[in-house]
Amino acid sequence: MFENVIDGIFSAVFLAAILRVTTPILLPSLGALISEKAGVLNIGLEGMMLSSAFTGVIVSAYSQDWFGAEVGTSVGPWLGLLLGVCVSLLLSFVLALFHLDLKGDLFLSGIALNIFGSSATVAIMFELTGDRGNTSTLASLQMPFIQLPEFINDIPLVGGFVFGVFDNQSVMTWLAFIAVFVVAFFLYRMPIGMHLRAVGENPEAAASVGINVKRIRYMALLISGFFAGLGGIHMSMGYLQLFQRDMTNGRGFIALVTPSLGGGTPIGTMVASSIFGFFDALGIRMGSLEIPSQLPQSIPYFATVLALVIYALQRRISQRVSEMRTASGAGFDAVFWQAIQRISIMHMLLMMFAVIGVVTGGAILAAPNGFGGAEAALPAGLAIGAASIALFIMGLPFVSDIFRIQKRWRESAAVTIVSLGAYLSIFLSLFLDLPVALAIGLVASAAVWFVIGGRALVGGK
Amino acid sequence: MNWARRQALLLVGIIAGAAVTLFVTQTMFGGSVEKMTGTASWQNILLVNGLVGLCILLFVVELRRGAIRVLLTVIVALLLGFLVTFIFNLDEASRFERGEFRVQVLTEAEPVEHDDVDLRYNRARGGEFNKPNVVEPVSEVAWTFAGRSGDVVSLLAYAKNRRSPVDMLVELRDAAGLALASSTSASELQVDETFDDLVSSKDAVIEGYALPADGIYTLYARPEDISAATTYSEALNQSRLAFEALLLGPIERVNRWGVWIQDAITLILLGLSFAIVFRAQQFSLGAEGQLYFGALVSGIIALNSPHVPSILLIPFIILAASTAGFVYGLIPGALKAYLGANELVSTLMLNVIATRFFEMVLNFQLKPPTAGYVASDKFTANAVLPVIVEKTQVTIAVFILVVVVFLAWLLIRRTPLGYEIRIIGSNLRFADYGGVNSRRTIMLVMAISGIVAGLAGMHLANGIHRQLILNISFALAFEGVVVALLARLNVLVVPFTGLLYAYLRAGAQFMERDANVSFEVVRMIQAIIILLITAEALVSFFQARQKRADIDEAGHALTQAEDSDV
Repeated sequence: MFENVIDGIFSAVFLAAILRVTTPILLPSLGALISEKAGVLNIGLEGMMLSSAFTGVIVSAYSQDWFGAEVGTSVGPWLGLLLGVCVSLLLSFVLALFHLDLKGDLFLSGIALNIFGSSATVAIMFELTGDRGNTSTLASLQMPFIQLPEFINDIPLVGGFVFGVFDNQSVMTWLAFIAVFVVAFFLYRMPIGMHLRAVGENPEAAASVGINVKRIRYMALLISGFFAGLGGIHMSMGYLQLFQRDMTNGRGFIALVTPSLGGGTPIGTMVASSIFGFFDALGIRMGSLEIPSQLPQSIPYFATVLALVIYALQRRISQRVSEMRTASGAGFDAVFWQAIQRISIMHMLLMMFAVIGVVTGGAILAAPNGFGGAEAALPAGLAIGAASIALFIMGLPFVSDIFRIQKRWRESAAVTIVSLGAYLSIFLSLFLDLPVALAIGLVASAAVWFVIGGRALVGGK
Repeated sequence: MNWARRQALLLVGIIAGAAVTLFVTQTMFGGSVEKMTGTASWQNILLVNGLVGLCILLFVVELRRGAIRVLLTVIVALLLGFLVTFIFNLDEASRFERGEFRVQVLTEAEPVEHDDVDLRYNRARGGEFNKPNVVEPVSEVAWTFAGRSGDVVSLLAYAKNRRSPVDMLVELRDAAGLALASSTSASELQVDETFDDLVSSKDAVIEGYALPADGIYTLYARPEDISAATTYSEALNQSRLAFEALLLGPIERVNRWGVWIQDAITLILLGLSFAIVFRAQQFSLGAEGQLYFGALVSGIIALNSPHVPSILLIPFIILAASTAGFVYGLIPGALKAYLGANELVSTLMLNVIATRFFEMVLNFQLKPPTAGYVASDKFTANAVLPVIVEKTQVTIAVFILVVVVFLAWLLIRRTPLGYEIRIIGSNLRFADYGGVNSRRTIMLVMAISGIVAGLAGMHLANGIHRQLILNISFALAFEGVVVALLARLNVLVVPFTGLLYAYLRAGAQFMERDANVSFEVVRMIQAIIILLITAEALVSFFQARQKRADIDEAGHALTQAEDSDV
């Protein structure tokens, strides 16, 4: 049972699935990134995605009537894309107008747009199809899928794998990943991108050197609307082939965090989006296990909250360290403190796993019938919960104060190695006998600790 | 403000409140006192209507000129909503092109024997024009019949029954296809007396036509073309019907009134929750998750204590639901206060987690194994909030709500914590400088708003649904945002805006039922209301003497609420 899931995860099919589900997170994330860089975070992404997804479906379905079946099928998706993105741009223009010119609150105007996108799509769908759930009665189209040339499949060793991952992906997926580099070029290599970042960093300073703050922010919101529109189009004309009520399902909100998780860079945003894509795809795949599907489904949301926490902690620690650096001047041991920082991140990640463990234990205790009945599930739930709480409490002192990692590095090392070893050996025990798994897990985690920063601690003291 | 003006304002408020109380009561009972006293628990209905009047008094007294702005915003949004409804109904006239129809060639002459024709004398034949969701719908028919010279025939084309809205046109054509006669309507005499089959004057009749020669004729029928005037008048008519249902529907009958009031109770609780937390400039949207936890906890207690007397159980459930909301609000509060984690994102994520958790527990633990759909057992009577108006679900939650509003007012206006909340809301740095423990306050305010949201969950579970169901909140939480904003974050005004908004929501249900206009139109109105109410510049356009605060940080609109309180 578990083996099936594990096998599935390390396959080309699964990677292809990750790419597919990452796309609708990545595209709006790029939009969020640009709007955030300009200091006007676009909360309305969700509503913009919904409206463009809906417009795309409607236009592509009706274009077959307008231009005839043959022309319509080839032109329809692209016309849908064009008009869908236009609608999304229009909404982002409304947002910009209300925030920048009419002095409305950005956050609340964004919420209004989300409500508008959600309700207007359903209302118009009801008018057109008489159905308020989805548009399955309309013969809507999909964006083309790109087929790789066959010879790639014949390349020895990697060919088959690469072909399996990249073949038959929607053109929107390719667009999304190419857009990452376009956005990077735009932000860091073009003058207007630098103006945009300047406006986000310090609007007064930007204005004082003659940058038109309002115009730049208008542009940033419109660009973010553009990306949200592309993301919406992928939802309804690539990921699925119809529009469903509220089909974006919170992706527009997830997109608001990925830029901060990715350290505010396009590449980082791509990585963060892929992490979400991974959990999304994992949730779908874990559906084959005999556990309630709600548990894997909520993993990405837990991950977001925890990632927010880690990001916040991380920022605080960096600040502390840079303060120390300024204070101590030339005598500052940068390598040593970097090691400490890495170890503190390690602690945080391990605590993140512990929290997921606590939640899993809690879920088992709350609904034992979903996990194979009270008799089997309750002890398991208690054990998982208790162990996770113990690991969490052990890690807490080192996260709350990084100087403890320096002062009591032996305890810190023990906690890291035991926690990481525990998770590794649980994972390995799926394939190996328990004692072997335990041994390998502990050794491996000790090695990881040493490489990450342990050697600096051992050597430094 | 001087004494006289304050008294005048009070007077205006009292008059407005009394007028609304009277109007609602009168509409409900059709103006007859006997009918009112004949209704069960009419005293309680009067009591609740009195509270509605009180809410209006508070609204006028608290918001003063702001009240006009709120009303104007709602009116503008309603007008825009009317426009949308009108546009949606532009195809309303096209129903005259759809429907089942019949055609007949009536005559007293002998039938002509002919094998190769579609119609015979005095035999009806029919079909359906422009049937929806059909690949090639029928849009016209041309059916042949054989006739002799001198046969006097009447050609009928009519709707099959009263349910079919089709408006017919009929033509008689000769063998060459030339039109000999045509008609688009039937006279009253023809409908009522001459022809039994006709349904209305929209049917078409060619009466008593003498065929000129032997041969094959064609009866051609199709729906009549719709004029632009018909299109607009039909759309206008339908939109008017829809808005009548929207604006008067909720107070037509006691059970409909109950839908309004019970929805308002939930919305007011949610609105209070948002008003409290927005007051401290914390954009927490966690009410939905807190609501789910409140509902889950109170539902579990209700399901597990069938024999505890109601008088002990209900307070315990209330306490448990508020604790659940408090705890679930504490999490994002602590994350924000001590780690600086963005509360908007964390609460949105926690909402999804709470919803999934609720689904999981409901699906695998609380659902009876035999149940066909995902829902818990019905609660036993001792766990349900006692009903105070028969035939509705208006419960003692009304009184709980009065207490909660009072406590919220005490908290915000009369306690040190409330003072700190307001200071933090207007200027965080100043608050820190002035010695406010802003971290603790931010955490507490988010948790306290969770209490109220948890109570809303309790009301949904134990007051309205009386069992746990999937989607128990049905995206109500975002509506709470509107309620809080319309009230300009003033907890004493929230009851009024909650009632107003619940009225629109209830009206929307009846609009959908009575006039076939989608419920979602009201959510579009809601979006427009938020946009208009936050757009400060729109106001200063009308108000010359508008204090201009620093327009820099997000959340400017929220600080404006401060003005109305000072």
